[in-house]
Amino acid sequence: MPRDSADEAAGRWRSPASHAFGQHIGLILALAILLLAIVIFSVMFTIQQQRLPGNFEVTSTVNNTMPLAIAAIGQTIVVLTRGIDLSVGGMVDLTNALAAILLRPNLGNQLAVSAIIIVVGAAGGLINGLLVGLGRLQPIVVTLATLSIYQGLAIRVLPQPGGAVPPGYTGFLVNPNAPTALVFLLIAIVLWLGLRRTRLGVDIFAIGADEQAAIALGVRAVRTKIIAYTLAGALYAVAGLFLAATATAGDATTGDSYTLTSIVAIVLGGVSFFGGRGSAIGAIAGAFIITMIVNILFFAKINPLYQAFYEGLFLVIAVVLGALIGRLVRARR
Amino acid sequence: MSERAAAAATGVAAVAAQTLNKAFGGVQALRAASFAANAGEVHALVGENGAGKSTLIKILGGRFPPDSGTILLDGEPVRFSGPADATRRGIGTVFQELTLLPWLTVAENLLFGREPRTAAGLIRRASLPQDAEALLDDLGISHIDPRALAAEISLSERQIVEIARVITKKPRILLLDEPTSSLVEREVAWLFERIRELRALGTAIVFTSHRWNEITSIADRITIYRNGSEAGTFTEIEEGEAITLMTGRRVDALYPKLPPLLAGAKDMLALEGAALPGTAAANGQHAAELSFHLRAGEILGIGGLAGQGHRELFLGLFGAPPLARGKIAVGGKHLRIHRPSDAINAGLGIALVPEDRKTEGLLLPLSVRYNLTLPILRRISRAGVIRTPIEARMSRDIIAALGVRTPSAAQRVGALSGGNQQKVLVGRWLLAESRILLLYDVTRGVDVATRHEIYDLIMRLAGEGRAILFYSSDTEELAHLCHRVLVLRDGRVAAELVPPALTAEAVVSASMRQARAA
Amino acid sequence: MESKFARRTLLTATGAGLITATLPGTGRAAGKKWKIVLSNSYIGNKWRIEMENLFKAGLQMEPYKSQVDGKWFNSGNNVSQENQQITGMIGERVDAILVDAASPTGENGILAQANSRGILVVSYDNVVTAPSAIKVNTDQFEFGKKLATFLAEKLKGQGNVIMVTGVAGTYVDQQRNAGADSVWKANPGIKVVNRYTGMWDSSTAERNTAAILPSLPKIDGIWCQGGTDGALKAFIAAKRTPLPPTAGEAENGFRKFMTPAGYMGQHVDGLSIGQPPYLVLVSLELARRILEKSYPRKDITIPFPFVTSETVKVGETVFPDLPDSFFADFTDSGPNATVQVCVDAALNGTPCSGSLDVRLPTA
Repeated sequence: MPRDSADEAAGRWRSPASHAFGQHIGLILALAILLLAIVIFSVMFTIQQQRLPGNFEVTSTVNNTMPLAIAAIGQTIVVLTRGIDLSVGGMVDLTNALAAILLRPNLGNQLAVSAIIIVVGAAGGLINGLLVGLGRLQPIVVTLATLSIYQGLAIRVLPQPGGAVPPGYTGFLVNPNAPTALVFLLIAIVLWLGLRRTRLGVDIFAIGADEQAAIALGVRAVRTKIIAYTLAGALYAVAGLFLAATATAGDATTGDSYTLTSIVAIVLGGVSFFGGRGSAIGAIAGAFIITMIVNILFFAKINPLYQAFYEGLFLVIAVVLGALIGRLVRARR
Repeated sequence: MSERAAAAATGVAAVAAQTLNKAFGGVQALRAASFAANAGEVHALVGENGAGKSTLIKILGGRFPPDSGTILLDGEPVRFSGPADATRRGIGTVFQELTLLPWLTVAENLLFGREPRTAAGLIRRASLPQDAEALLDDLGISHIDPRALAAEISLSERQIVEIARVITKKPRILLLDEPTSSLVEREVAWLFERIRELRALGTAIVFTSHRWNEITSIADRITIYRNGSEAGTFTEIEEGEAITLMTGRRVDALYPKLPPLLAGAKDMLALEGAALPGTAAANGQHAAELSFHLRAGEILGIGGLAGQGHRELFLGLFGAPPLARGKIAVGGKHLRIHRPSDAINAGLGIALVPEDRKTEGLLLPLSVRYNLTLPILRRISRAGVIRTPIEARMSRDIIAALGVRTPSAAQRVGALSGGNQQKVLVGRWLLAESRILLLYDVTRGVDVATRHEIYDLIMRLAGEGRAILFYSSDTEELAHLCHRVLVLRDGRVAAELVPPALTAEAVVSASMRQARAA
Repeated sequence: MESKFARRTLLTATGAGLITATLPGTGRAAGKKWKIVLSNSYIGNKWRIEMENLFKAGLQMEPYKSQVDGKWFNSGNNVSQENQQITGMIGERVDAILVDAASPTGENGILAQANSRGILVVSYDNVVTAPSAIKVNTDQFEFGKKLATFLAEKLKGQGNVIMVTGVAGTYVDQQRNAGADSVWKANPGIKVVNRYTGMWDSSTAERNTAAILPSLPKIDGIWCQGGTDGALKAFIAAKRTPLPPTAGEAENGFRKFMTPAGYMGQHVDGLSIGQPPYLVLVSLELARRILEKSYPRKDITIPFPFVTSETVKVGETVFPDLPDSFFADFTDSGPNATVQVCVDAALNGTPCSGSLDVRLPTA
């Protein structure tokens, strides 16, 4: 069947670049919004401080965003399977609390404790995955329940804020003097691109796009879901470690906010809630957009009483803008 | 001699099913069903919707296991652990529900599960499009862009990719469940060419279709299913006899008699100067415009090749979305139709029965009654409260009048067969007292028996003085069910056919003539 | 670790050496104001609103009006957001940061960085554990102990008591309960017949008390960390009147019961102690004094403002026209008061007449 005139008229054959643009519009928009936010912040900062944002601003923004960025990657993996994970907050709480009480200044301990904590996170995720996959329960219900369970466990582990993270550990993960933590993000991105090129990665996208079709294609949907939630749990644990490192101590409640912010981050990052579309790179960009909005509002000198209002407003504008432009681009093609 | 050929020679079926049973919930889909197909034959599987064809194919394709019974491959009993297992054993299945993943590209879909790898075992995403293009080229497909998302290509293109994915895996048993339902003629021709090639290579091909002419043109043998078991296997059978076997009832004629067209019937719908999207006219290349009149009691057919904007025309008359250009007059009065509610409430009432009833017409998880009375809730409510006795009576009456086969009005529409879903949609617009019906490919995927009921229904509606605009991807239907057929080409009427010139061949040739010349 | 320890000792030593008098050439240049910023983690309850209002009012009163350039930020009880705001403050190179933290530990990292960049950090109310931050607070153990002692004396060491506790898992709740328990231990005649949470919230305290009350014997005394007016209303609703002696927080509603005229037809013999919102003013003054080098860098604990049924005074420590949920301890009272401010400052953030005099403990 050769192409006929109707096909030519509809212009179905487009350049690879045009395809790439259309298929990654969510990610491209997220990066554009982030760039815009960085420019706005830099201009405001430079005008007010008579200098460009320096090493300190960059470093602490990066360090402060690390836990959210990593947690958002976990959330991305789950949402790609057309699930949602509300247990992020509890998992970050628990792993953060464990880090604060278990970490000691010697290297051997730090390696072992980090590994144990990541295993704990993975186990937490595994429980979510088993309930969602084997139990065929709604992800939102399962993870809402486990959120409370993990929060409760966190309080048991660390009833009062405290503990201490060795300075060496902090220095390694979130070096306060230079934005070396970006290296970890780079590693995360490389691993993500690798995952996209594995059977597991393809299957995660497949079951999110159309679970029944994926099963008919031989994808083991239940197993893929379980692995996705487990992987996400391990990533939340890494987020908990980064949070402990930035704070230098533990608090069994500080992770709570990550449930909501990780979801906001992936929305900003162009990950589709209907599954099957999105990128961890977008989620990382989304996490940074959230931090940049706080930065911009700080220098905008607005009445602190209305800060929450403006934060919400900026988020809505960013999301609406993204959706509109995305729709426009798709409609024009 | 290959093993496969040897098996064929000794009379052992390449694939066989023995006394299969399968129940879903309370419904027995297969009862002691048997089936056998040989290597190197094309074996058609026919029957009404709900006869168990799709269930049989899904079981043979490893989609789910039977409750009891045996599957034999080359005489050896097998048990599939899943679709992947069946694929490994050389079975390729095109399921009725398309299994393309919408947010993956054509290339990713085509090569799903057998992507090219690097030495480290990672998928070479960059080389997917070229690999896919090469595969498609081998099959003679050059009009589908491997870089496009599956969601971006048309339904027929998706069906072709689906078929291509399966046959490029070189299965020795190929199962095709209604592969032609969304294909136009030249695509069907392409598919049959591939099937003949595979048959020559010794592949066992099983396929289902509701189009009798397709079946007779390609099948070596025909197995008829009824109520979940085999009703007979034939090398030759007349259509009427086959329908009798499928339904257990005698069908007098394939097509009903058209009600006479009254001389003084008034215009009910007039369209002037419409430009159809996707055609030269809409692109402003030349000012081709579409105009027509539709009279009371008339069934006006719209024919032409795919991509001529039929769908847009039907949706446009219903305001979903509105036509870019063109004046619409209903009952002689000009009006604007911006959205479906305008169409529903327009003077005589315009109703659309789309082909994709799952996404465009019905709310599948909800009851028959809910679906029937949705547009008229305001009329049967008092002070905003629905008067349920009236609602119940109206839906009961319409179910009886149209012969919708449902246990009750409370049944989920999703649980009904395709033809019965279509009847519910028609029933909805009868309740809404729509006088103008836009029927867009309403018999697609509907089994033969129900098809006849729908034909009768259309005739009855026209006889009552309703005006019907009719499109079908089956040219035979156009030729036999319409008073008049307009063949569209490049956004205008290329030919107007009335009996006796109105034949399927005439519709096809009017559609093709210029297209070939261009 | 060793160097960190050494630095801290050094700081304390130099701080102690600089007790009085602004040295010429150091500190604030003429005409320049100290940049002091408040990082408030949360603005979702009355206490925090009053606290922030006092800060706003204070900035418009002398000596702060001419010496301090102040700003404030809120952060939805979200640690990373508060951290990011503190990053901005460090970027602005402020002189001092006052923190009412979202977490006692969550901001330690960024606060240590502020300190290493020469920014003074004063933390109060929900204080942080960062060693470099100066802490201003009340003694929470003492809080619980004082409430319990009052009851022990009123009951002469004999009777049934209920304890309405606070938000579990917080340092403050744990300390207050421990303070009370130390008193019960010394008074074996007092029986704690039930202990349940009121979440430091009047409506929760009322709901939980109402639910538990039918199962309880006669109650001789109420020990309540917060939501005291709610607990009392539950007693009235259950017709458990007259109300027993009550030791509780500084809610205006509770104090209304303590006035001779009473409230809702009931009078309570009580002790009302509060976590004073003016902790923010003490912190502001401490920051100003340390920057002026007229006060040593050291943690301070201020006494609780408290009133009893004998000392409560309409218009000064209780306000019949204001809501029950208002914290009536926005100002201290009496001759040794830490600070005295007008009610408008707490309600609207408007300045009072005259200058603001905050009395820090003797250095």
